Amino acid sequence: MSAVAYTLVVFVLLTAVATALFRDVLSAIVVFGAYSLGMAILYTFLLAPDVAMTEAAIGAGVTTILLLLTIARTSRPSSDRIFERVNVPALAVCGAFLVVMLATVLPATEAVGDPEAIAWANPEVTGYYIENTYRDTGVQNAVTAVLAAYRGFDTFGEAVVVFAAGIATLLVLGREVFA
Amino acid sequence: MSYRDTYTESQVILTAVKIIAPFTLTYGLFMTFHGADTPGGSFQGGAIIGVTILMLAFAFGIEPTREWLRNAVLVGLIAGGVAVFVGVGLAAMALGGNFLEYDRFLEVWGIRQKWGMEAIEIGGIALIVAGVVITLFFATAAGFTPTRTDGRGEDE
Repeated sequence: MSAVAYTLVVFVLLTAVATALFRDVLSAIVVFGAYSLGMAILYTFLLAPDVAMTEAAIGAGVTTILLLLTIARTSRPSSDRIFERVNVPALAVCGAFLVVMLATVLPATEAVGDPEAIAWANPEVTGYYIENTYRDTGVQNAVTAVLAAYRGFDTFGEAVVVFAAGIATLLVLGREVFA
Repeated sequence: MSYRDTYTESQVILTAVKIIAPFTLTYGLFMTFHGADTPGGSFQGGAIIGVTILMLAFAFGIEPTREWLRNAVLVGLIAGGVAVFVGVGLAAMALGGNFLEYDRFLEVWGIRQKWGMEAIEIGGIALIVAGVVITLFFATAAGFTPTRTDGRGEDE
């Protein structure tokens, strides 16, 4: 990874901590939007442009707008302090958990783009898609081929879940807000 | 201080949205129609198309935008998307294949598999995602009735 990518990692970590610490909800939401945008750019450095576009559109865009609209219905408590007071014992427990998790997971994680990584060393699945996608389906983006063709029925299930969630929201909220 | 005054007729926002909205709409459509061969796809493209409507609502007021895009229209978009998805899947079954088996279109009608996929991407997922994004926005935003004369939102 390049220096830009490492800078992005630092940016993402800083904005994540700031989101947790800001006392003012509006500030927290704006910083959270910046965090999502940082993650989106980081995903492109990790060669996952499809995920990056989803993160930029949904994470940075739609989520921020919906959260802003939600807090617009609340009142804004006035406070002198900028940051939340940190609960030291809770922070110690979470920190210890993080250290244990990183110590367990990091040694087993392959480097980015490592040709010996497990995902690439699984020729039955990953290798099959990479070799046969264009011949089987005629599309060049293997991600689209997996989503729409190889796993089309799963995608259909997801689409129906989104449909049901949207309709349910309208039914529950409709009578109150669109009266 | 309260967040109640969500709508102000701002020359800066109006001008910015007027300039940016055509580009985001074009980009969303490009991503939707081009998802088979480049990164992105109908999910991302549909979300960007939905966000374009959200931008318009921010610039021109939420209620005027909602009068233009009624709930019935949005529900029609979402349900139509699911219907297209089911229709393509069942059409493949009617031709003797499995659900969404695009090979059958090639064998029976001479339509390449790619177009079957484009059909469920453009006519199905993009409509569902764009419709749900706009629906969620309107459901969350409803209640702020802008009064454009003084530029301040009304308390309910």
